[in-house]
Amino acid sequence: MATETLTTMDPAGLKAIGAGLAVGLTGIASGIAEKDIGSAAIGAMAENESLFGKGLILTVIPETIVIFGLVVALLIS
Amino acid sequence: MLELKQMSRAVIVGHKSIFEETVDALHKANLFQIEDFNEDDSGLLIGRPFENVDEVSKKLIKIRSIANLLGVKDTESKKKDTSAVLSSLDSTLEKLDSELDVKTEKKNKLESELKDLESLKKELVPFAGISIDLDYYRGYKNLAVFTGYVSEDIESAVSGITSSYDMSYDPKEGTLVLFVPVEKSAEVTDMLAKYGFRELRVPDVSGVPKDLLSEIDSRESGLMEQIESIDAEIESLKGKYADFILASNEVLSIEAQKSEAPLRVATSESTFLIDGWIPDEDFDELKNVVYEATNGRAFVSRQEMTEEDEKAVPIEYDNPKVASPFEEIMDLYARPRYKELDPTTLIFISFPLFYGMILGDIGYALILLALAVGIKKAISSEAIKPLMNVLIYCQVSTLIFGILYGEFLGFPLASLHTDHGMEEGLIKGFETINLFASPVGGEMITYPVHRTHLVMTMIVFTALLGLVHINIGYMLGFINENRKHGMSAAILEKGSWIVIEAGLLIAILGYAALLPSMATYLGVVVFLAGFVMLLKGEGIKGPIELPSLLSNSLSYTRIIAVGLSSIYIASTVNLIAFEMIWEPGTQIGGMTIFAIIVFLFGHALNTVLSIIAPGLHSLRLQYVEFFGKFYEGGGRKYDPFGYIRKYTEE
Repeated sequence: MATETLTTMDPAGLKAIGAGLAVGLTGIASGIAEKDIGSAAIGAMAENESLFGKGLILTVIPETIVIFGLVVALLIS
Repeated sequence: MLELKQMSRAVIVGHKSIFEETVDALHKANLFQIEDFNEDDSGLLIGRPFENVDEVSKKLIKIRSIANLLGVKDTESKKKDTSAVLSSLDSTLEKLDSELDVKTEKKNKLESELKDLESLKKELVPFAGISIDLDYYRGYKNLAVFTGYVSEDIESAVSGITSSYDMSYDPKEGTLVLFVPVEKSAEVTDMLAKYGFRELRVPDVSGVPKDLLSEIDSRESGLMEQIESIDAEIESLKGKYADFILASNEVLSIEAQKSEAPLRVATSESTFLIDGWIPDEDFDELKNVVYEATNGRAFVSRQEMTEEDEKAVPIEYDNPKVASPFEEIMDLYARPRYKELDPTTLIFISFPLFYGMILGDIGYALILLALAVGIKKAISSEAIKPLMNVLIYCQVSTLIFGILYGEFLGFPLASLHTDHGMEEGLIKGFETINLFASPVGGEMITYPVHRTHLVMTMIVFTALLGLVHINIGYMLGFINENRKHGMSAAILEKGSWIVIEAGLLIAILGYAALLPSMATYLGVVVFLAGFVMLLKGEGIKGPIELPSLLSNSLSYTRIIAVGLSSIYIASTVNLIAFEMIWEPGTQIGGMTIFAIIVFLFGHALNTVLSIIAPGLHSLRLQYVEFFGKFYEGGGRKYDPFGYIRKYTEE
């Protein structure tokens, strides 16, 4: 007869892992998205400094992703 | 308050005999922005610069090159009288120029001497270890002299070729000096090639190298001293003439500006025609100024503004003085267009508000406030001042929110009772007061507001705040659109968003049974009506942007999210310093100092982050979420013909 061993995971621990994944993965995603825009924006600024405002805006647009991640993490924990 | 200065297009016409007087008066008034004239087929020509232009620019170049040479910096100084500066300009400039010439010539001479010595020294160094007078190296008939580098001592190889030789080898430098009879020189050359011989030129001086070197050293230090003393003399010239240079640079720049003004102006054979812009409120003053300067012989008239003109109008802000530092933040994005609303006053409120809500810490507020005030006092730069003022406003807001949140460098000021027991506050006996239950998340709103225990409430609150902010944006957009394209465009493009929001609100309230269930259907109908309006107003772009309503307002949750991260960094520093390294109340020792160092460095880091993170995020909320709803921008700066004098006065 086979013996069944029952392992349960700690819900609090899983929550923490989930929260960590939410922030970490979205952070990586924002980083990947921002890196291209940021370098392009700096290139544009080198040509014309008055583009700073628009460059900043375009660069920070993907940041919403990580903010959502952070909010989700706060909701989980 | 939300309006820009009204501008007029004005034209000044007169006879060429009063051209200079008119330009003089305009320059002095510093009100009128000249619109550059481009030659067309009207028969008018670009004017010729006034006669003194060559002389003025020659002197200006001289002054600027001297200023550059002396490294004269902008400083605060007493204002000088222009006519006094002008009258003494030529003689002083000549004197300064000749004095400086003598000194720089002398310095150049010394420097080239130093350079020569330096290169001679380089040549002598390899011979330093061999004490043979350099004269003995040359002038033989029957002796061949080899001087150069070899890789090793070759005495044995040489003695294999001939027994009559004299050789010195310095193993430190690897220098070889070898005297052999002339007839053996071919053999010796072959042998030397095997040992990687590289020939060295014998310096063209006489004496023992070692003595020569020490003599060069002492001469070099003498030259250095002389150069230093000349430098000091030049420095003293700078001290003596700095005021003169700054003042005359200014006076000459003004003169040059005036003399070159005709290049921007249309002229005929005997008349001139200056075209440009002036704020409405200053038009009468301009008229007076020109009238007085020319005895009424020049004619100033206001022109009708065409649609083309409206695109080219220079833009001048018209804000209360308290809000004016935020014009800098507007300029960073783009100046408004002529018919647009100027949101500077709104930024003046919302930027520090969001900044303060994010940071909200008494400690950081005080540190940064002191820093900003200090920098403002220490640096008199016009470019830094507005930014420091913005920082000061932000810190006042942070201080208010800090008191509301009850936080000091990440420590809570008040003690808090939670399910896990009591958390001690920084001020003993300061208890958190429960006010009322929050409608979301089963949290309790308290004073001071503990953000870390009110996450859900704060998320909902900040998102709602965002919704309010965005809707203010839509309303401004409505006004802008109404001015630019009329009422129907405004209702379709911007009003539709408000209709959509109203529809959603009614539907949600109906669904949540806060309104009768009929309301759900009504809400859907209103939403669809808004949707159709949007489709008509913005085309397919509208529905695509629809989800932004949600994402934009959720974006405001960064106010709490970034704020929490700042708290956690601060309290982690506190935890590391005052619990893990050293606990207050235990014995004071080396660890205490270490804890304090960690505390200081940690908070210094977080202080820097406290400017960057809340600043950028607050800025982004203005630029992306808020401006996106109404702002276009792209106006050009109003830059009147004139000069703001710093060192001289009329």
